[in-house]
Amino acid sequence: MKVVTGVVGNDIHVVANRLIDISLQSRGFEVFNLGVNTYLEEFIDAVVETDADVLLISSLNGEAEGWCRELYRFKDQDNLKNVIFVIGGNLSVGEGDESQIVPKFKEYGFDLVFHQSDLLEGLDTLEAFVKEDK
Amino acid sequence: MSLLQRDREIILSNEYVDNFDFAEAEDFVKNASKDLFISHKFKTNKGKTLVQPRGGFPTYEKMYALYDQFTSGDVDVLPMTIDSHTRLNDYGSAAKMLRLSEETETDQLNGYPLVNHGYRITRKMITHFNTPVSLRHGTPDARLLVELAIASGAFEIEGGPITYILPYSKNFPQDKAFLYWKHVERVTAKYSELNEPINRESFGPLTATLVPPCITIVIQIAEMLLSLEEGVKSFSVSFSQTGSINQDLVTSKVLRKSAKKYAQKIGCGDAMINLVYHQWMGAFPRDKHKSDSLINTGAMIAGLVGADKIITKTRAEAFGIPTKEDNSQAVSNVKYTLNMLQGIPNFVDEEEEENLTRQVDEIFEAIFNDKADTLWRKVFNSIKNGIIDVPFSPHIINNNELITVRDDFKNIRIYKKGKLPLSEKSFKYEQSKLNLGANPNSVVNQIIKDIGVML
Repeated sequence: MKVVTGVVGNDIHVVANRLIDISLQSRGFEVFNLGVNTYLEEFIDAVVETDADVLLISSLNGEAEGWCRELYRFKDQDNLKNVIFVIGGNLSVGEGDESQIVPKFKEYGFDLVFHQSDLLEGLDTLEAFVKEDK
Repeated sequence: MSLLQRDREIILSNEYVDNFDFAEAEDFVKNASKDLFISHKFKTNKGKTLVQPRGGFPTYEKMYALYDQFTSGDVDVLPMTIDSHTRLNDYGSAAKMLRLSEETETDQLNGYPLVNHGYRITRKMITHFNTPVSLRHGTPDARLLVELAIASGAFEIEGGPITYILPYSKNFPQDKAFLYWKHVERVTAKYSELNEPINRESFGPLTATLVPPCITIVIQIAEMLLSLEEGVKSFSVSFSQTGSINQDLVTSKVLRKSAKKYAQKIGCGDAMINLVYHQWMGAFPRDKHKSDSLINTGAMIAGLVGADKIITKTRAEAFGIPTKEDNSQAVSNVKYTLNMLQGIPNFVDEEEEENLTRQVDEIFEAIFNDKADTLWRKVFNSIKNGIIDVPFSPHIINNNELITVRDDFKNIRIYKKGKLPLSEKSFKYEQSKLNLGANPNSVVNQIIKDIGVML
């Protein structure tokens, strides 16, 4: 199963990005890591090029919303219908209320949203979701 | 006119530089006070560890006040930290933010915009304090900045084509960085003939995140060789506190010995090689008492390894840019601790030293065996194909296959070697120190714990 991942926007927080990469690999995913400072268009291009099953976007500086709110436009493209869209990390600047953040990002087009959750628990949820999806 | 001189003239005809006078700058360096040269201080200060804090402010006034405070507090080397716009050669934005800082009396830059201030006025400040100044920046293309720094009287230049790229940039072309820094080395070497040598220093901490000593040492020596082969005569290799006292001791010994060995190997054994120690560069505790303890331990280790210079942190590290008072307090603590550490016996761990020396030699053998015709191309190819791999580098060229964790004594060990050309013996030695379970989650948890080891 192929995953495209990276950190969205002008965000250089590389440590979590590498940990996601290592964790996904150890769970048997084929990982295409675009690294830090990646724009939504680049993510979408990579998903198309690699024929990925999952797009996992992360963000630490809290500015993800501005960079990702137009996901639904890309999602409507035919070749992205079966892709699972995931976003996680710190999804608001300052303190955010999870009960508002999660539905908001789901509206933008994400299937799974993790706000300040544990990395490994998040990946467990992703794996369960992938199994169900099949 | 030489090609080098033609390039220099083009670079210095930049619209933000006010009439650079080459002959006058040479004259200044030729007649400059020996007290401004850290290379001279290293020579005459044998055995003592010089202390250098960190710092840089946007306006001339605040920079002057910082130096005033530092020199009255026994600082041996003054830092000149450059702002981030200048580091990216964006002198226009730096000018705008400098003006704003001056108008509003707030700091709108995270360092001193040397290009905008110019070398004439900066030289006045540096010669006034008559203490060595070290240029700290992070600039991939520092050809203009370094000319102005030397003309100002800052006779130590930090940085290098690897250590200022792999930890800091996602996609600045690595090959361009090698060529830009080659130019810097040549300019530095040329000025070094006029008086005491200008000192070059490499940035050993890299990402400061679980970097194994063999990678630190290889990169330090590679940058040193690239500098010495252009004629630089005084060079500081450096590394930062690893989190394990024993690993720091072993690293310092192997770094010193190997640096000398490889300098001789390329016929540059006459150059002076110095050792610089950075206090803990990872995440600091938010408890200021614990920070004080971490800083004192770092000072102690610098004394134990016989560092020629220590670069200090402050108890405010977890909270943002330190005030000049925080900085002075840290310097005085460090000096106090260093003063206690005299006549300490030599600690030896033969097994660890042998293992680390062998790892360094194995990686260098692979670098030198690369088919390219020049050293910089060999090193460039080695980064590209993963022979050199820096953990947690954000750069697209970095191989990212090397994985490290700490052992029970907090030593950084290689868990997955990626494409590092380590022999079976070397790799087995690393593995023998680790006892991680088979569960892959435990490695990730261990890494998270190991990064936050000082929290």
